[in-house]
Amino acid sequence: MVNPSLLIAIPLAGAFAIPLVGLGSKRIAKWIPPLALAVNLVMGLTLFPKVIEQAIIISIGGFPPPFCINLMVGPLGLSLGILISLIGLLISLYAIDYIKTEPTEKYHALFLLLVTGALGIVLTGDIFNLFVFFEILCIASFALTAYQRDRMGSEAALKYLIQATVGSTFILIAIAFVYGLFGTLNMADIASKIPSAEPIHLFLTLAFFVVGFGVEAAIFPLNSWLPDAHSSAPAPVSAILSAIAIKTGVYAIARITYTLMNAQGVMLLISVGGAITLLVGEIAAYSQKEDIKRMLAYSSIGQIGLIVFALGISTSLGLFGALFQLLNHALAKCLLFLAAGYMISRAGSKKLADLEGLGKQMPLIVIAFTVAAFSLVGLPPFAGFMSKLSIVCAALETKETSYLALIVVALIATVIEAGYFFRLVQRLYFKGDPTTESSRPRVPEAPAGAMIPILVLAGLIIVLGIYPQLLTGALDLAAQELLHRSQYIEVVLGV
Amino acid sequence: MQEMANSFYYIGAGGLILIGLYMVLAKTNLIKIILGLSFLDTGTHVLLVAIGYVRGRTAPIFSEGMSETTAVVDPVPQALVLTAIVIGVGVLSLALALSIQVYRHYGTLDVRNIRGLKW
Repeated sequence: MVNPSLLIAIPLAGAFAIPLVGLGSKRIAKWIPPLALAVNLVMGLTLFPKVIEQAIIISIGGFPPPFCINLMVGPLGLSLGILISLIGLLISLYAIDYIKTEPTEKYHALFLLLVTGALGIVLTGDIFNLFVFFEILCIASFALTAYQRDRMGSEAALKYLIQATVGSTFILIAIAFVYGLFGTLNMADIASKIPSAEPIHLFLTLAFFVVGFGVEAAIFPLNSWLPDAHSSAPAPVSAILSAIAIKTGVYAIARITYTLMNAQGVMLLISVGGAITLLVGEIAAYSQKEDIKRMLAYSSIGQIGLIVFALGISTSLGLFGALFQLLNHALAKCLLFLAAGYMISRAGSKKLADLEGLGKQMPLIVIAFTVAAFSLVGLPPFAGFMSKLSIVCAALETKETSYLALIVVALIATVIEAGYFFRLVQRLYFKGDPTTESSRPRVPEAPAGAMIPILVLAGLIIVLGIYPQLLTGALDLAAQELLHRSQYIEVVLGV
Repeated sequence: MQEMANSFYYIGAGGLILIGLYMVLAKTNLIKIILGLSFLDTGTHVLLVAIGYVRGRTAPIFSEGMSETTAVVDPVPQALVLTAIVIGVGVLSLALALSIQVYRHYGTLDVRNIRGLKW
């Protein structure tokens, strides 16, 4: 059996191998990230059938939990790990041709570090270890945001850094509280000792955790860094930040509220926060008249709001919907940013007005872009429809007035979302001057290395929309892992 | 009085964290904001060490001539603080590097004048 700790070790080793290999040959160094992540993806997929039967616990240092740092490879962690490896693989293929700013090997090393951080967050079973991986992810993403060293990138990265560092200080304070209350850092051990603590102490700790991770997850009102960072970064960085980095914040919040704290009392509050984030994000995205990447970034805030809203509906259907929406948003937003990267370089500007009529010049990329946009809106043949439907059903099933009111807000936000995505797609196809296009020389839309990820993502969105059964089993198990915390404690501690 | 002495470290830690937050929120010079981040870090480290501290015990380092039954303080928070210090150094150096980059583009460190994006 493959050791699941390799899932973290291989990208980490790859990240440090890149500068060394880069001394010899830059061409080989470029191919390390796709290679490492492809190995990761295959390992993750071969481990999955075993993990479904029994979660794998890896104890580091030879001590049994709770005395060691342990990895907890359960259905939730591994399915997110597979998603991270897949998205990372596709984006790293895209980046091989796209990233031209020297020194490229630094970009690739930082990219692999970011993926390592994300994989560590979803697989670890130790709260301080989670913080360390979170910091790895954060530092890599600050540096990547400023990678092009331009005016906007540096400013956005600094803004991101200041806000995220205050956030991670809050996480560290919460960890200090947890250690003071329970004298342990093992998540399963903390979870088993929760009943012995006073509610007010738990609430305070939870508040620090949610605020800290909320900065990375961009929950309103902690979201002001996101539109700048995501719109100023190079296209593959925007894609990985939107598809993976913000999701890890959501994962951490879910893990802490469900497994760690069993905080049923604050779920409604979290749902309200999600619904407000959703509405604010979508309204802000609708009002973007200039910059396409800024619009996509605001749409990410809205989608995160929807995921957090569904997390707060603490039923198995609600959690299933949240995880499915998380997956769909990762696929679709990754595709949107990657496609936008080449659309922007063809049009020569980020302005929406300059992108008009691109549908005739680069048909394949714009069709893929349209597929992803429709999937995010939730049109039936695409994957987004199923996840939005299950979230709506979950909210209706609770039969509580508060959730029914919130789902109305969510549906209004979806209409707003449809408004700006349809407007954008319409401008891409039907606006613009048709006479200029014939005068331009016919050139390929994008190099093959960039077309493959874009088309694979578009294919995945359509296949998942038609056959959601391919994934529902795995996502259901992942949702169960969050709901049944006593099983989690049992598996890790063996009691 | 004994009560006061016991909570002394916590008050200090909380004070440092609040000073750091104030600096991040209220100062307009980028370097001062980054110093504020440093204060925040330090406050958290003091908090962590204070949680593991037991009055009258010594540092958890075994050395020559020390009996194995010597009472020591909890070593785990100190290990956490060491890790957190390393992370803090990384973040602060990156922050300073980025502010150099920002200074090159804008010619100022005053955040009121750095408005290429919507703040």
